[in-house]
Amino acid sequence: MTAVLLAVHVLGGIVFVGPVTVAASLFPRYAGEGSVGVVDALHRISRVYAVLGLAVPVFGIATGAQLGVLGDAWLLVSMALTLVAALLLGLVILPAQARVVTGLHERGAAAVPASLGMTTGVFALIWAVVVVLMIVRPGSTTGVGA
Amino acid sequence: MMAGLRVAALVEALTLVALLVNLATVHWRPVTTLGGPLHGTAYLAVIAVVLLLPGAPRAAKLRALVPGVGGWLALRAL
Repeated sequence: MTAVLLAVHVLGGIVFVGPVTVAASLFPRYAGEGSVGVVDALHRISRVYAVLGLAVPVFGIATGAQLGVLGDAWLLVSMALTLVAALLLGLVILPAQARVVTGLHERGAAAVPASLGMTTGVFALIWAVVVVLMIVRPGSTTGVGA
Repeated sequence: MMAGLRVAALVEALTLVALLVNLATVHWRPVTTLGGPLHGTAYLAVIAVVLLLPGAPRAAKLRALVPGVGGWLALRAL
């Protein structure tokens, strides 16, 4: 059963979190160009896949509980980073995207905050760090870095 | 988003029923192992969707937090 949980966790990371990372990164560029259709689609992908992506930490914690590794440092750090990424997405990136989308529809133009590109960069970087932690698992006997 | 909310609300309620029935009867391990995370995902998805809905009333947001039937309560409050 642990294999099923881990498979859902990894699949969710690739299929759900991947698109959010890409769509959020591309959003500022197309918003700057004022491409309403593209911006709508990117915002929709960011929003919908963010909700679906909630499955990833939930199934990850279930996998960790089955393996008895929930207290391991690499996992605690990963969970903390995931929380930071989730808060960035939910409280900064998605609201900023929504404001741009509303502006484009109502006024035909919207100022894209310069910080949005940086924030999405940090968001993507966090996932890179988490994936490395998941593979190397410093301090664990089950990582490939040992 | 509303169609998604309906699905999430249904999964939230059905998985909880499945988990409780399993707990009271056969204690079949796979139901717990898979049903638990599935229920957790649906619970969080309901809350996230209601929070992301533009102009969702405060009552709907609070009701989404209710375990098990939060999605159904939020749908009624929207």
